[in-house]
Amino acid sequence: MKLLLIDHEDSFTYNLAHLLSSFGKLEVKNYYDVKESTVKKSDIIIFSPGPGKPLDYPISLEIYEKFKTKKKIIGICLGFQLIANGEGGIISKQEKIFHGYQTYIRTNNKSLRFPNNHMYQVGRYHSLKLKEPFDSSSMHITMRCEETNVAMCLESHTNDICGLQFHPDSFLTPNGKQFISKIIQFKK
Amino acid sequence: MNNSAILKSLLASDKDIIIYRNSEKNNFELYTDFIEKINLNINNLDKFLNKLDKFKAKKKYDCYIGFFGYELLCKNLNLTVNKDKHAFPEGVFFRPQTKIVIDSKIDIFTKSKLDLIKSLKPLKNSKNISKNKIKVSPSVENYEKIFNKFKKNIKAGETYQIKIAQKYSNKKDLDIAKLFFQLMKKNLSPESFCIRTKEFNVISCSPENLFKVKGNKIVTSPIAGTVSRKKIKSTKQARQFFENNQKEDKEHNMIVDLERNDLSRITKPSSVKIQKLKFVQKYQYIYHNVSDISGTLHEKVKLSQIVKAMMPGGSVIGCPKINTLKLLNKEEKEPRRIYTGSFGYFRSIKDMSFNIIIRSILNFNNNNEVFVASGVILDSTAKNEYHENFLKAKSLLDLLK
Repeated sequence: MKLLLIDHEDSFTYNLAHLLSSFGKLEVKNYYDVKESTVKKSDIIIFSPGPGKPLDYPISLEIYEKFKTKKKIIGICLGFQLIANGEGGIISKQEKIFHGYQTYIRTNNKSLRFPNNHMYQVGRYHSLKLKEPFDSSSMHITMRCEETNVAMCLESHTNDICGLQFHPDSFLTPNGKQFISKIIQFKK
Repeated sequence: MNNSAILKSLLASDKDIIIYRNSEKNNFELYTDFIEKINLNINNLDKFLNKLDKFKAKKKYDCYIGFFGYELLCKNLNLTVNKDKHAFPEGVFFRPQTKIVIDSKIDIFTKSKLDLIKSLKPLKNSKNISKNKIKVSPSVENYEKIFNKFKKNIKAGETYQIKIAQKYSNKKDLDIAKLFFQLMKKNLSPESFCIRTKEFNVISCSPENLFKVKGNKIVTSPIAGTVSRKKIKSTKQARQFFENNQKEDKEHNMIVDLERNDLSRITKPSSVKIQKLKFVQKYQYIYHNVSDISGTLHEKVKLSQIVKAMMPGGSVIGCPKINTLKLLNKEEKEPRRIYTGSFGYFRSIKDMSFNIIIRSILNFNNNNEVFVASGVILDSTAKNEYHENFLKAKSLLDLLK
């Protein structure tokens, strides 16, 4: 299996790369260096975390738009926000910012990949959040922050797309690998 | 001449020397008789690093020892930096032929002891420039402006943590070797070093190792979290302070993940481990919160890859590194030169150590300069951080008085 990790020049991308590398042949490319032929050859596209907002990365948004019905897509942090933006969501500032926080999140019954009403402890690095209400026919919010109720996971019911606002790659997320494993093993 | 007399006249001589603290052996190592001196710039950096890949020190004194300056490290990441008005070397490495271990006894390892003794000439009298008022840049007003701009950047997610540097400078002649040992009596930091050359001098009591390589193992020990010993009286209290202080704790988490990331670029998958999370180290005026993180290097790793992945050290810059450096270089007007660069030695690709150059005095062009930096935190004010910077600089500023 070929995995393509699109790096938005984050300082956490390679933590994610180490998690992903056990699931197949991984290639890491800077967001401004990705060739469409590389994307086409990959089975899974992963959008890395990164600074700023989705609109700062038009190339990544374009790749999402082109491949969202064709490939398995995973987004982490900024990657989650890229997916949300691609589905018409708005990314806005949150009152309390979460950088280096460990918090609890809870799954709901819309999740296809994770058990319902399950609590996880996760590490977080984000200033921005998905603004709600978020209306999408195919994309569902399936995890929320216990404290602020902010969206923590987006799952598609029609395509093979899943985004996590938190960091499975952080040392603050115990068993972070299980999140990646469940998303990768999921079959539509 | 016995060893102790040789050392004494060497310290009083005009010879170029480097002294580096060896905290594992609790002594100092002095290097001199340099047969090579390489001035680095962005055009010869890769060539130098590639040459070192094949280098293996055979003699006890043999190694390359020196530093990579901040501006060079930024250029190495394809980032633009401010031009330095004075031609300060962006990085310099020396290859010594003499090493003196300064411990309860003094050991000399050298190619020729006779040549060493013959080469010792007394230092010319210094010009005795009268001391001058300490200048600070940026001013409080400008510092506040930059601080508030970066607060906005944090709220917009463009940086998660960013550290503004301030420069303190004055004019005064310094007896580098004497001053270094004076400083060591007061503030014995594990990564202390000094460089004495005709062109420039450096004294640093850096507490922070950036990485050590032994065999195929690499370890980094980032510091994130500082508290004054005026407020806190014991290591145990300091530990509690760091645990209870949200700001310090979250900052530290971020740096642990950043360093895990940087190590992951050059190590085998799943080999990166947090060896020790958040332990307290005690210094003259402050306590630090430290972690140890290690990994197993890729078999065919090159020095240029290690330098690119690890430098400049993230704990003194912020996170994510690239964008944070871009923001810093846009706002900061003073070239950092050695500050937040890395000093260390290289004996082979399996034996090297580099620190982060902080708490240092650079004496260059008749000027002494000291930089300190502290983080921009949303619930903190510019004035608070300005004060924290002063605290960090105090032990060095005392010497410049």
